[in-house]
Amino acid sequence: MNVQEYIESGIIESYVMGLASEPERAEFERLCTLYPELVTARRKFEERLEGYAWENAVPPPPEVKVKVLEAIGKSSNIITMEKDKEPPSPMLPKIIAGAAVVLLIAMAYLYYQTRQQNKDLTDTNSRLMVSLDTTRNILQRIVDEQKDLVSNPNVTVVNMVGTQVAPKSSANIYWDSASSNVYLVVKNMPKLPNNQQYQLWALIDNKPKDLGVFDATDDKVILKMKNTQKAQAFAITIEQKGGSPSPTLQKMQSMGKTLQSQ
Amino acid sequence: MAGPITYTEQELVQALKERNNQAFGFLYDNYAGALYSIIKQIITDNSELANDVLQEVFINIWRKIETYDQTKGRLFTWMLNIARNASIDMLRSKSYQNSQKNQELPDNVYREVTNQTIIQNVDNIGLKKVLETLRPEHRVLVELAYFKGFTHEEIAEMMSIPLGTVKTRIRNALLQLRGYLK
Repeated sequence: MNVQEYIESGIIESYVMGLASEPERAEFERLCTLYPELVTARRKFEERLEGYAWENAVPPPPEVKVKVLEAIGKSSNIITMEKDKEPPSPMLPKIIAGAAVVLLIAMAYLYYQTRQQNKDLTDTNSRLMVSLDTTRNILQRIVDEQKDLVSNPNVTVVNMVGTQVAPKSSANIYWDSASSNVYLVVKNMPKLPNNQQYQLWALIDNKPKDLGVFDATDDKVILKMKNTQKAQAFAITIEQKGGSPSPTLQKMQSMGKTLQSQ
Repeated sequence: MAGPITYTEQELVQALKERNNQAFGFLYDNYAGALYSIIKQIITDNSELANDVLQEVFINIWRKIETYDQTKGRLFTWMLNIARNASIDMLRSKSYQNSQKNQELPDNVYREVTNQTIIQNVDNIGLKKVLETLRPEHRVLVELAYFKGFTHEEIAEMMSIPLGTVKTRIRNALLQLRGYLK
């Protein structure tokens, strides 16, 4: 390469004055590592340019130095000028400082609040978990009970059929002769006025025994009724709310006989 | 003006990189005038904004001194380019444009720029004085490239001259400039 020709192309001036393109700069810097005379020529031009700039220096107003020193004094968090905005007034740093304080307080408050909220949510969450566990256990017990009911060989299923008064009424009684437990599953019982309830009876030697009251809304749920050791039949009547001491037989809805009736 | 301590360029750079405030004061006292000169040559008509640019330039020098690479040029060259770039940025900024509001918007911004260029170099300072020694067709190109910050491509387009010609003329103009600086 002809270094002299390269120097005479004006690349040095172009580079030093910041007018060279990026590829030109890169090439020049690379060649400088190979040809020391390029570096010498560059330094020479730089010194000339610098000397000329010194000769033509224009003293800036003294307040600029004050501002600069102020700015670098706080240089750990340097304030850069916003070029596209109005030049900063002396009030601006105070406003910025004020705003920073307000912002800090607001952030601290927000942080505290968020933490508090988070704590509340965590607490609520763990309470819900406990409650969920309890519910799950109850449900499991019910499921176990039901499984037991179906598979237990001591349980007799009594199919309650509708009477003439209420031909469509039907329910099943699951009666465990060993434990005397009585369960009722409502299959189809008409809704009653608010002041009335259904009542289940066991008929023992033609005498009715109260086994508890229930509502038609307890549809498809297994209801645990009162226990009975004996029963030739079960009967359901409509009674006033809370039940009656003895059944109103003309309102008997359904009835089912047990094996004990034979 | 230099204070009790003086530095070689090497020492000065080292001290600045070590965040030495005294060295920075020395730097300001010695170079602010030269840098202010280039800023005023670019922002010719608004001292207020020229002051802002000078302030910004020195803050940037303080912040970016770590990135200064001595193998690529002298400290002054580095600072001069920071000053030139900051001035051109200011020239294109909203605050500068707003300060120019009283001037009517030209149909062709480029033509207006070249016209201004020719009209303005009456009371030139510093390097602009050197420009006057150049032939007008060279002078305009250097003015646009160096003092207005247009790329060679932009100049080629606005002046309707081939890119190669723009580059050659600017290079030639710079070589003449070097001769003048001797």
